[in-house]
Amino acid sequence: MRRGLHRRATRAAATIAVLAVVLSASPALALEENVYRQVLGLDSRRVIWFLAQMHLFFGAFVLGVPLFAVIVEVVGWRNNDNKLDKLAYEFTSLLSIAFAITAALGGLLAFALFTLYPTFMGYMAGVFKDVMFIYPMLFFAETFLLYLYYYGWHWLRGTEPIRPPVRRLLRGAGVILIVAGIGFQFGLWGPDMRGDTRAFITFLYILPPGIGLVIIKDLKSSHIFIGIMLNVVGTAIMQAANSWAGFMMSPAGVDAEGVINGPLWLAFENVLATPIAIHRMLGNLAFGGLIAGAYAAVKFIGAKTAEEKAHYDWMGYISNFVAIAALIPLPFAGYYLGREIYSHSAVMGNNMMGGDFSWTFIIQAMLVGSLFVISNYYLWSGMTRIPGAERYYKYIKFILFALIVSFAIWLTPHNLPLTGQEVGEMGGSQYHPTIKFMGLMPAKNAVVNLIILSTFISFLLYRRGNKSELVPISRQGRAPMIAIPLAGLAAIAIVGQYAISLFTLDPGEMDLPPDRARYFHTVGYLLVFQCAAAAVAVVLALKDFGKLAQGLLVAVTAFNVVIFLGVYGFVVMEQASPFLRNVAVSQFLQLIGCLILITAIDVFLFRGAKEIGSLRWGKMTVRSQYALLLLAFIITLNMGLMGFIRSGLRGDWHVFGIMRDTSEWAYTPSNFTMTSMVALAVLVFMVAVAFMFWLGGLAARTSGDAEAPRRTPEEEPAE
Amino acid sequence: MSGDSAPNGATPPEGGGLVASLLSHAVVKVFGFLLLVLATFVWIGHSVTSLTGGRARTTGPVEMTPEGGETIFWGKGRCYTCHSVGGRGSAVRGPNLGQFGEKFAQPIGVRAAGRARERSEKTGETYALTDYLVESVASPGAYVVEGYKNEMAIVYAPPISLVLDEIKAVITYLQSQGGEIDLAAILEPSEITQRYFARIQAATAAGGGDPGAGAVVYEDNCIDCHALNGEGSDLGPDLSAISGRGLKFLAEAILQPAKTLTEGYETYVVVEQDGRQTIGLKTRDDADEIDITKATGEVITIAKADIKEISLDPLKSVMPDDLSEAMTVKDYQDVLSFLLLLKGE
Repeated sequence: MRRGLHRRATRAAATIAVLAVVLSASPALALEENVYRQVLGLDSRRVIWFLAQMHLFFGAFVLGVPLFAVIVEVVGWRNNDNKLDKLAYEFTSLLSIAFAITAALGGLLAFALFTLYPTFMGYMAGVFKDVMFIYPMLFFAETFLLYLYYYGWHWLRGTEPIRPPVRRLLRGAGVILIVAGIGFQFGLWGPDMRGDTRAFITFLYILPPGIGLVIIKDLKSSHIFIGIMLNVVGTAIMQAANSWAGFMMSPAGVDAEGVINGPLWLAFENVLATPIAIHRMLGNLAFGGLIAGAYAAVKFIGAKTAEEKAHYDWMGYISNFVAIAALIPLPFAGYYLGREIYSHSAVMGNNMMGGDFSWTFIIQAMLVGSLFVISNYYLWSGMTRIPGAERYYKYIKFILFALIVSFAIWLTPHNLPLTGQEVGEMGGSQYHPTIKFMGLMPAKNAVVNLIILSTFISFLLYRRGNKSELVPISRQGRAPMIAIPLAGLAAIAIVGQYAISLFTLDPGEMDLPPDRARYFHTVGYLLVFQCAAAAVAVVLALKDFGKLAQGLLVAVTAFNVVIFLGVYGFVVMEQASPFLRNVAVSQFLQLIGCLILITAIDVFLFRGAKEIGSLRWGKMTVRSQYALLLLAFIITLNMGLMGFIRSGLRGDWHVFGIMRDTSEWAYTPSNFTMTSMVALAVLVFMVAVAFMFWLGGLAARTSGDAEAPRRTPEEEPAE
Repeated sequence: MSGDSAPNGATPPEGGGLVASLLSHAVVKVFGFLLLVLATFVWIGHSVTSLTGGRARTTGPVEMTPEGGETIFWGKGRCYTCHSVGGRGSAVRGPNLGQFGEKFAQPIGVRAAGRARERSEKTGETYALTDYLVESVASPGAYVVEGYKNEMAIVYAPPISLVLDEIKAVITYLQSQGGEIDLAAILEPSEITQRYFARIQAATAAGGGDPGAGAVVYEDNCIDCHALNGEGSDLGPDLSAISGRGLKFLAEAILQPAKTLTEGYETYVVVEQDGRQTIGLKTRDDADEIDITKATGEVITIAKADIKEISLDPLKSVMPDDLSEAMTVKDYQDVLSFLLLLKGE
């Protein structure tokens, strides 16, 4: 009955959305006089703001959780680990009600938009009418796949091999898809498009189903394929909606009056659509992980037995692990999005970092910094449950110091709010004579990289907590001999290609005189040095000096990225300011290259190592569970805040530069209004999530059927 | 996920445990914790707003005074997002326009005189202080202060969309920074200033746009077929004085070229005896043969004896009708504003 209810709710919501689109899809032009309506005398913008935020919270959850549920399922399948499989199932069980709520909220939001902003939505529906029909179709596909994935879990669990001809057919189809995907990525086929969109389509739409088809060999792997397709469709839903949000910021495919003058693809693939989609993908993954972590934390806090504590402690750890994996590249995706926003419109970019939203970004920096610091705290707390980890406690204080200093610098505002008297005492300058440098971009770029590097080191310490007596890499066969050099090559390629581009970069492109090329070359040589360090690290690792290799690479990266470029950035800022953006990219690439190679070395360094003792799951402080909860609260607040910035950047425009917002609400709300609205949305969301989880638990208890996630396979009734 | 092996021997609890925990003390504590976090967040927002205050919005007409210009500078014009003025503001992306440290020893109202001299030497035209100020707003790429990037927004294009009177007000504000207000230089503009005012008006009429960027769009898309002041191709009409045809004509000519065919540039369709069809401009018509120049520039010579049928097609233009797909909205606005300045020499 519950299944039927969910499906009906989802379909009803999708039908409502389709009807709303059809009824309003008039070919309205942007220059038409705007009509605004109100309901119950409410501020229409706040109504839309709240509904959109709620829809996005739930949407992010239902798109983020399947991403890591499938990853956990694959890891469990490959390692023949039933416990991981059951954990993946438990994650998925959180989705069923959330999905119906997401769809219902989407329908409500669509109705609110079409009734309160009829001209604007008529215009959007005119431009995107085709996509707006595809969108609910994708919802149907998502509904079907989600319920097939969830309810088919036990049905599709067999490991009996499928018939060879069928397998050959599937594998052949998979290989064709993979080859087609590679061809697509290199531009051998498909329409012209931006490089990031091409990569997005290749790596998220073409290659995963291809790989999914290749790995099908039994019922269980076919279930994984369904999970992959669920994520493919979910990503497409997100990208479709992103294209509308992106279009509102960077319209394309229409003329100055908003009249369509090109193929729909131009409007769909507007400048900001893909950067937003990339950022949102990672954000959803981190968000899904942390909400699932909060679920585990609440269950842990309320657990009555050691077994319950152990289970939910483990679940919280996995959730946090997934979230950290997504959080690490997230600042770079944000930086990329910011750059694209700036490239699209300097006005918008300036308003973001130096205008109406500069203080909002300070609050954002507080939240993001808190996410990293608290994630680290959770990892350190987790080390108390690892026998042998006490050997590494002594390093924590240094990491904490680095994090606190970095956090403080990251938070330092560019200009300080001062009284007239204080300004007078400082000689009329708004900048503090000493700490003003901490507020500038070179310092912030340096410390954000240090925060990420420190978090990564915390994770490395956690991993090696109970490991001793390593198995030398040289005695592990061919796998490390292939994998480590490949990772090294990847790291060198990532950094090296950028070094080449810096050596050939023309200062004229940045309106700089020719002699400023020396600043480019200095950074280029630094990147070459980083490549050399990576090569040496590979050799050392293969010669069984893995820890030395890691230490060397971390030290060189920290020196290059944080110390050298952190200081040199100020020189660049003074002498060749436009080049500062390239310095930031070089920092990011060195760090990413370092993380890739060190992870590869770490995998083999501790593979098969003797364990000092088993992990004592459940032996965690309650305080650490509040840290998990805090992480969930903070990332939700941050999503709301960033949504406010992204949307607010348009200023007084519904569609930037084309359709003005002529309503009485066409102004940028204060930060107080923002925090109040976002806090309200987060409160309602969290209460709804708690209610949703309670419903899920209630249903699981009352049904008591084979769906119950926590039974071992042996306990399952025969089907 | 090493180190994440499942709890050894732990049997997960029965489902529905949350029902009990919802009612338990733990959930109350978690909810209280959530409220504490949210209250802190709201308090931060309140503190920041109290600290920074709200920004006044500009409404209604603005007077051509330093006060009016100041309102635009720190409001609608968004100049403050890149420029500080002395100790006011915090932006460093563009030069400080007040007196600030060694780098900016003089405010812009004084500094501009030196810049005007530089521009005079560089261009051969005589720049006055106000000419430089107007140029720096109307064509910011004309002179880029060393160490800064040529990235200033065109303030008379969307999204800022200042109108000429608002820009004039900003000029008086800039004049007043350490210097004397010179209204005469604005009300009775020099040739240089008048030229830039015309540019701003043209851009405003074109829905906003940067004529400088429009020149680049023109070179990328138009120069192969059209001539400008004697330079370019004669495949399409000469555009040297095209602004006289008006905004509507120009907009249509770009987006729907077949609707605005110029006399002498009609499209011919020639069908030869063997059925071959050639479409293009008739660029030569002799006794025995004709030349048809195709949209690609290729010239096809056809003997009249081979022609089965020749006709004018009023619905076709040799000019590409898909330019709108090759140009962004901004390109279109830019090139339109550029064309609106072409009044002939």
